[in-house]
Amino acid sequence: MTLAHDRTSDFLEGGRRERRQIVTPEGVPLSVELADHGERLVAFAIDLFIWLVMIIVLLVALVSALGLSRGSLLAVSLGLFIGFMVRNLYFVGFELAWRGSTPGKRLVGLRVIDRAGGPLQPSAIVARNLTREIETFLPLGVLLTTGKSATGTVDWSNLGIALWMLLFAALPFINRDRMRGGDLLAGTLVISLPKRVLLADLVERKAQFSFTAAQLRAYGAFELQVLEELLRRPATPDSMRLITEVCDKICRRIDWTTPIAAADILPFLREFYTAERAFLEHEQLFGKARADKHAGRGDRPAPPQ
Amino acid sequence: MSMPAATIDAPPAPAAPAAPAAAGRPEIVLKSSEFRKGRAEGWLELERLVTRVERQGIRRLSLDELQRLPMLYRAALSSLSVARTIVLDRNLLLYLETLSVRAFLAVYGPRANPITGLRTFFGQELPAAVRSARWHILIAALTLFLGVVVGFMLTVQDETWFNSFVPSGLAGGRGPSSTRADLYNNEIFAPWPGWVESFGLFAGVLFNHNTLVGILTFGLGMGIGIPTIMLTLYQGLPLGAFIALHYNRDLTIDFLGWLSIHGVTELGGLILFAAGGLVIAEKMLFPGRYSRLENLAMHGRLAGQMAVGAVIMLFAAAFLEGGFRQLVASTPLRFAIGFGVGALWLAYFSLAGRSIRR
Repeated sequence: MTLAHDRTSDFLEGGRRERRQIVTPEGVPLSVELADHGERLVAFAIDLFIWLVMIIVLLVALVSALGLSRGSLLAVSLGLFIGFMVRNLYFVGFELAWRGSTPGKRLVGLRVIDRAGGPLQPSAIVARNLTREIETFLPLGVLLTTGKSATGTVDWSNLGIALWMLLFAALPFINRDRMRGGDLLAGTLVISLPKRVLLADLVERKAQFSFTAAQLRAYGAFELQVLEELLRRPATPDSMRLITEVCDKICRRIDWTTPIAAADILPFLREFYTAERAFLEHEQLFGKARADKHAGRGDRPAPPQ
Repeated sequence: MSMPAATIDAPPAPAAPAAPAAAGRPEIVLKSSEFRKGRAEGWLELERLVTRVERQGIRRLSLDELQRLPMLYRAALSSLSVARTIVLDRNLLLYLETLSVRAFLAVYGPRANPITGLRTFFGQELPAAVRSARWHILIAALTLFLGVVVGFMLTVQDETWFNSFVPSGLAGGRGPSSTRADLYNNEIFAPWPGWVESFGLFAGVLFNHNTLVGILTFGLGMGIGIPTIMLTLYQGLPLGAFIALHYNRDLTIDFLGWLSIHGVTELGGLILFAAGGLVIAEKMLFPGRYSRLENLAMHGRLAGQMAVGAVIMLFAAAFLEGGFRQLVASTPLRFAIGFGVGALWLAYFSLAGRSIRR
């Protein structure tokens, strides 16, 4: 199902955001936006930076406390062990304590949710994060410790490891839900959850202009919501010019012949918005939703997306 | 002719029948505005609560707030359902949608703190997952055993097989040319190199060939299990070859002791990896009533949990191998440690969390 405001968002933001529906235990479908690859990469980079710093600080402290020489075998082993503990506890700990979010994810505005809309189980969080070891870190470790090919020939096993990591890195790009291996196994989804504020209603109580039903039938929900977005923009010379243009277009379409004074443009549009919304909402109440200006007289379903 | 459209939505209440258009300034009342007016308070209160839960955790809410949260959440959900049918205010719809998702996550988020979460995972879910895949584990173990037998049988007759079964990195200088004394002094009872050196081995041991092949057996379960079986068989071959090499030099028992101290755990991890791969394969081959991908997603968590168990076993094995193998220079003691630890794993996987589950 494509909701009218989703379509408007796509139009205004100049691109389709992938959406998925989850059904809450109360039976209400909620539409969530899938996180972008870029967003997830940035979130991961932030987390990576944080836990790498944690590991390095811990390791340097331990190595100097134990008086080990840098680069000795023991220091390397210690580093690997601390690395394993820190990165796994970091992800699992934060996602459990912050309900599916880590510092990186929180900065970018991402959350981990259950794919089916159920509660996010602790085991799913542990599974999705420990899978990272198998996807990336263990193969990376093998690659780094045995990486030097003694002979100059092709090292098939290293090539295999590289292919393995590449496959998992590509996984989010080749499935519809942008799931990484861990998400696939744990049944989770990473969504983007932008903060939104409730703005004041645009409805104008006192009407100065009045419109006929025929005039209001010229547009549908889509145009109404684009107009709403335009009216909510902060007033700059740029947006004022756009508003004037839109006002002209509307007047032409609805055959509004009385000229509108420059100072009246904004009030006129707000009133038109109010009247249009009242009209469309009323029609919708009786099952005659008008998706856009191309919709018929309200008795034809909106064209499929 | 037609009634002014702006008054269509006016409530049918006393004053309603619309101030006529002639009056010039009809009062416009939208149902959606009225709808919003009565409920916005609740939404904003919910938003404040949810923001606090996101920032500080649900524990910071007072008892009273904790009781209000689910009520406000359900009220917001019902507002959203109504709003979708009667409201065309995009800002309002988007706000309600986002608020509902955030509140949903706050209400149904993981209730456990990290410690409880880890305890649940390791105390109940991991052993339960392993138990539920006991047949897969049995198949994987038998396959590995078959590989060992084949490797042994072939190498014991003709030691040149050793070189084809064992990669040179794994052989570490051992081979058909090794004498009994070589193996006895430089491998099985090699002098303990000291703490630093032996724990330094940890890295090299952890990220070795076996680990990699183990991971591959798991991942290649996606190829309906045949690569998993082949690789597991293939992993048994070098082991069989090693045993044959020592058998021919009358060192079988000492070698098995040397191997068992970490090998029981390591092989357990590898078997668990392979069994996880077999679980994946089974779910893909026999999807039952679901599509293959759906079925895989439903049971993937099980396979993932087994892989996690395998990773932990490999870590433990690396720890044992690096730290203790050369420290304990007695074959009976090595057997005792190896199989003792093995028994602990077995007890953990077969008993842990049983009483809690049912």
